[in-house]
Amino acid sequence: MSRGRAMAALPPPRSTWDAINPLRLLGELSETRYWMYLLLLPSALLITAIVLFPTVYGFQLSFTEMRLNRPAGNGAFVGLKHYQRMLADPIFWLSLRNTAVWVTFSILIEFVVGLVAALALNRNLWGGKVLAVLILVPYFLPNVVAGNMWALMLDSRVGVINDILVNIGLLQEYKAWFADPNTAMATAIFVEAWHSFPFFTLLIMAGLKGIPTDLYKAADIDGAGAFAQLRLITLPMLRTIIAAAVILRVIGLVNSPDLLLILTQGGPGRSTQVLSLYAFQNAYSDFNFGYAGALSVVMFVLLMLFAWAYIRLSKVNQD
Amino acid sequence: MATLSIKGVRKSFGAVEVLNNIDIEVEDGGFLVLLGPSGCGKSTLLAIIAGLEPSSGGDILIGDKNVNDVHPKDRNIAMVFQSYALYPTMPVRRNIGFGLEMRKVDAKEREAAVQRAAELLQIEHLLDRKPGQLSGGQRQRVAMGRAIVRNPDLFLFDEPLSNLDAKLRVEMRTEIKRLHDRLGTTTVYVTHDQVEALTLGTKVAVMKGGVIQQLADPETIYDRPANMFVAGFIGSPTMNFLTGMLEHGDGGLVLRHAAGSLALVGLEQDVAAFVGREVVAGIRPETLNAGQGAAGLQGIVDVVEPTGPDTMVIVSVGGQLLTARLGPKVRPKPGDTLNLSVDTAAINLFDPVTGNRI
Repeated sequence: MSRGRAMAALPPPRSTWDAINPLRLLGELSETRYWMYLLLLPSALLITAIVLFPTVYGFQLSFTEMRLNRPAGNGAFVGLKHYQRMLADPIFWLSLRNTAVWVTFSILIEFVVGLVAALALNRNLWGGKVLAVLILVPYFLPNVVAGNMWALMLDSRVGVINDILVNIGLLQEYKAWFADPNTAMATAIFVEAWHSFPFFTLLIMAGLKGIPTDLYKAADIDGAGAFAQLRLITLPMLRTIIAAAVILRVIGLVNSPDLLLILTQGGPGRSTQVLSLYAFQNAYSDFNFGYAGALSVVMFVLLMLFAWAYIRLSKVNQD
Repeated sequence: MATLSIKGVRKSFGAVEVLNNIDIEVEDGGFLVLLGPSGCGKSTLLAIIAGLEPSSGGDILIGDKNVNDVHPKDRNIAMVFQSYALYPTMPVRRNIGFGLEMRKVDAKEREAAVQRAAELLQIEHLLDRKPGQLSGGQRQRVAMGRAIVRNPDLFLFDEPLSNLDAKLRVEMRTEIKRLHDRLGTTTVYVTHDQVEALTLGTKVAVMKGGVIQQLADPETIYDRPANMFVAGFIGSPTMNFLTGMLEHGDGGLVLRHAAGSLALVGLEQDVAAFVGREVVAGIRPETLNAGQGAAGLQGIVDVVEPTGPDTMVIVSVGGQLLTARLGPKVRPKPGDTLNLSVDTAAINLFDPVTGNRI
């Protein structure tokens, strides 16, 4: 509706007060097509302030010199300096490789364990509801708590896991799991998977509830066994949910250094150094916010590329 | 093709008995319709026949083989579901051929079978589409294609037309009948729609509360219902019930009701034991005609409902409402006095205490 037509629909002002009465003018404005933009304005401002500004600032930071321990020259535009340094930085490449290992194996284990747990819980077996809550418990724990708990349980002197493994004969002596470059990453991945597999369980369970039981009955009659039903009905029907869960978990794993910060701090050596941890250390140990910003931008771009490729490959947008 | 024997089948969920001693025999090539209201146990019985649900007792025989402990896939049956249950991520071609694929049938042979089924159902042009891209009627055809492609001993249909609109339902009903005439496969068909039951079935089992009320051919079910439930469930508009005393009149038996008496000319039932007692006369709306005849009723017109080919006239006879299916040109007005002749040979008398046909 055009402004002119909307205004024409209103009766003309009857007095001077009527002509400047703000309520009347507001009422008039609400009849025009600009009204919706006015209604959107508060949320647009809010999103700009809390999402857009920090993102843009992060990008800007990556092109800026910003070292808090060397104030001289801070804020100067340095172009692609940080990115050039990154290309020649062996720790960056090592962190990238470690990130790939960390994310891939964590997701793989979380998905498989989460799927098995969801399928088991979906069978409505006796005690299933209690088990469902118990299975979700790890996910309720904050990373910091889960990390410290496992650090203690895997401790090389007092860890209960070492005790159990020695007692059942799998280990000769207590082992410092996070001090050995050969086991540090695998152990950290185990802890991460333990902590986050319930996320997959929860989402997959919700997805399973949405699959019509008639499909399984039809498949039974058609002669499809349990594995064929999983492969040809359950997994394809869960495609959208699995894609969303994987993307969310990958973003979480790539961006959050907290668990590794508690368990290994990137060590021993740099065997568990991942990008997020490297960026974090650059910012808060070396106070080099410019380089940390550039690392963050690279992570951002990689995640965008991953999400795009994954959605395309898993054909979520089809059907 | 095969016969189907259901012998003493029971099913209970805890203390709730949903099927009570069901006995049915279906001849080779027969078409059994399980008919009844929601919750009567008809779909449970079908699931037991399919092997998707265990029974609590009794035997299911397909041919002469007891299949109680046989997995659904080994019963050589095919089933069409109300929801169609097409695999949403597979194209139609794979949906139809899925049963053959799972049975490791050679790809060439499978493709030929799918093609034959598709031609029979005229869905060749849909083979590469996904179920989400099909209309309700097309999905229905694909579901039927999936059933016929394997040449099973037994077709099971679970309310297959319930999700279609009225016009398509009639079309698909004809299609199913044609398919059965052509393939001659023994069929069990579950529905709550009496028109489907009467048009399709060679045998109809009317069920209520897990018990078979009547098992007979459609004509018998319609003309000679075993009890007042069957009489009231079958037919649209439903059968009229007129309560009165059964007495000897001048020319034979008469039904003395609140507004007069109705001579029961040509009654086939042996009702001697009920003379002098109250009975319920079941009168089909189409056996009432406008005008006076050998036997008649007089009533006050309550409501007139023209439907096109017929005019349904609801008449109050001594306070009891009866529906008459009259010709399209008959248009009495509410409040008019209307004389109706009754084809009394078509009347069924019921015992008001048991509800059973006398």
